[in-house]
Amino acid sequence: MGTNNVETFPQKEERTYCKEYKRLKELQGNDQIKELQTILRDKNTSRSDFKFYADRLIRLVIEESLNQLPFTDCKVITPTGATYDGLKYKSGNCGVSIVRSGEAMEQGLRDCCRSIRIGKILVESDAETHDARVVYARFPEDIAQRHVLLMYPIMSTGNTVSQSINVLKEHGVKEECIILSNLFCTPAAVETILQSYPKLKILTSEIHPVAPNHFGQKYFGTD
Amino acid sequence: MAAKINIFEPPPSSASSESDDGVETQTDFSEVFPDGEADEERSGDFYNTPASPITVPYCPRPPSAGSQKSPKCRRQRTTSLNRQSSNKAATESVLRTTHRTIYTAGRPPWYNSEGQKVEPFVIGICGGSASGKTTVAEKIIESLGVSWVTLLSMDSFYKVLNQKQHEESHRNEYNFDHPDAFDFEILIETLKKLKEGRKVDVPIYNFVTHSRESRTKTMYGANVIIFEGILAFYNKEVRNMLDMKVFVDTDADIRLARRLRRDISQRGRDLEGVLKQYTSMVQPSFNHYIAPLMVHADIIVPRGGENEVAIQLIVQHVHTQLQLRGLKIREELAQAHAFRGQPLPDSLKLLPTTPQIRGLHTFIRNKDTPRDEFIFYSKRLIRLVIEYTLSLMKFNEMTVETPQGVLYEGKRMATDKICGVSILRAGETMEQAVCDVCKDIRIGKILIQTNLQTGEPELYYMRLPKDIKDFKVILMDATVATGAAAMMAIRVLLDHDVQESNILIVSLLMAESGVHSIAYAFPNVQIVTTAIDPEINEKFYVLPGIGNFGDRYFGTE
Repeated sequence: MGTNNVETFPQKEERTYCKEYKRLKELQGNDQIKELQTILRDKNTSRSDFKFYADRLIRLVIEESLNQLPFTDCKVITPTGATYDGLKYKSGNCGVSIVRSGEAMEQGLRDCCRSIRIGKILVESDAETHDARVVYARFPEDIAQRHVLLMYPIMSTGNTVSQSINVLKEHGVKEECIILSNLFCTPAAVETILQSYPKLKILTSEIHPVAPNHFGQKYFGTD
Repeated sequence: MAAKINIFEPPPSSASSESDDGVETQTDFSEVFPDGEADEERSGDFYNTPASPITVPYCPRPPSAGSQKSPKCRRQRTTSLNRQSSNKAATESVLRTTHRTIYTAGRPPWYNSEGQKVEPFVIGICGGSASGKTTVAEKIIESLGVSWVTLLSMDSFYKVLNQKQHEESHRNEYNFDHPDAFDFEILIETLKKLKEGRKVDVPIYNFVTHSRESRTKTMYGANVIIFEGILAFYNKEVRNMLDMKVFVDTDADIRLARRLRRDISQRGRDLEGVLKQYTSMVQPSFNHYIAPLMVHADIIVPRGGENEVAIQLIVQHVHTQLQLRGLKIREELAQAHAFRGQPLPDSLKLLPTTPQIRGLHTFIRNKDTPRDEFIFYSKRLIRLVIEYTLSLMKFNEMTVETPQGVLYEGKRMATDKICGVSILRAGETMEQAVCDVCKDIRIGKILIQTNLQTGEPELYYMRLPKDIKDFKVILMDATVATGAAAMMAIRVLLDHDVQESNILIVSLLMAESGVHSIAYAFPNVQIVTTAIDPEINEKFYVLPGIGNFGDRYFGTE
């Protein structure tokens, strides 16, 4: 990934990734989502605005992630006595957030699924070698039977996420049952992840060569 | 004589129009909105335009001519009256059933199924000073039995006086009975707007300083407009706007006697001054300008307000005219089979029907869903539809600097002037979501209820942000069946000069025919919804539908 670019990047390249990788889904782009991303990337955005708009974007990504979960058809009777052909989501899902920035997405998930179980993974990366190491993981006991919504907002190298997926797999979670919910990721990260874990599903709001790495600090106010 | 002088006292039945504080007329709504909204009204942030009863605050009666030595608030002449404000009628207008209380005094549709407006009926009342014009107007309103009547007085349109004229008026030498004393330009503009059914700001004339006060009186939503003034028929353009012209012809002696009594006993002026003014200005003006206007009248009412027969004739005529204009909107809309099989309009923006949207619909449509789940899943769906609505706004390209040192080509919304307006009651459930996505957004409210006797929607109450005309308006209602309530709300917004293309009607569920009706009447209004159902049943519920969304959400089934 280039380090000395000050020019902006063409948008076309980003789109091609979605075609290359069928397991990669980008949030259906519209001007409003673009605005949210713009506010989050703008260095002049105040912290309170940052959190407000980050929460909005997170909510949209979470809603779309839930859309990827399995469901079955079901008919219900409406108060007018008519039948509505609806659908029902299968139970047996859970969320897993990667500490720390992944925790920013927990509230969004709670707002959509009130009583969902949420596990946590803490990954520490070495500042010099960029090697990631899992230091803490706590999951629901039956996680092997569940669909897992893995939450991590920013992905630049993909190392942290790779380590987290390894841990999940060690706990018996099937690769095809993991959905990664993500706000911003780089093409490099997509490549790394999907080459190592081809059956994983990634849902993101934007693929861009530069990741807004200040996310966690600004969201939690530790900058 | 005493009996005649009595008519200057406000008749008790319309007392509310005379009150100084405007609280009294709010009683109609007190059960719906129990908190003390009268205070908020004066904050100036919001229009006080619950079209139905409008009350004018302090507005002293003009000294017909000349100055006032002891100005005091006598009566307000420019006002809207609602017959229901009298206690007797108020009780009749409320039906109580075991489940809910129904008010029957709302404003029925004032436009046809194409959304085009039907003009209100305008009655002009002309006559000499102290001839009893206001009494006639009040009697007409009383016998008419129609709510939503606006009374507009020519007194509001006196010209602002300069220093010299001001001094003249102190010496009883300024002629207030001359046509030049009136600002016909503003008068014509105001009357025209009122006749078009639009919101107007009527000036409040201060008879002490002889200037217009900085605040104005907002008038909106009349089915009948009564315009009265000594020179009501003087201007041709004004005359052409009057659907019926009434001249009140009271004997000159009686008029003089009333004036003497009024000016001396109530305004503390001396006999000589009053007589001087009368003989030098009032009487010549009457003979020269006012009396000749009689030829334009459709009806001449001798003896003024006590002429019961004449008033009954007028009322009958108005009733006939109103009936001819009467509209049955909802049925017409529901039976609009013409739309069947037609492609859905371009102005419709339907959220992509993803599994998740269908899943949420499954929860809220199921009659066995408990209320807490119903509320929870409704809120999720509402959030999605509101987020989607925002994406339909205009955006501008914008480049920002990032902390990573690269520039980012992004977008920002072109306008920050967005406001929400909810159609009570079900639309209110969507307010929270709008507030959650737009910081500090202003929220207006419109209460529209269905009259169970006629099946027509009726407008009861409205409070809109000031300057709403400059805003993009997100109009919210949970469900749209025939589209009748939504169309009434859109009509209200248009009457407040909101541009049609700035309105987005947002709901969770719409019936296909409702979508067609709205799109046909208001092609530039964007229609946003999460699902469209094919049918409407005889009770105007959507099929398969959600049932009564408001009842289920608020637990008032």
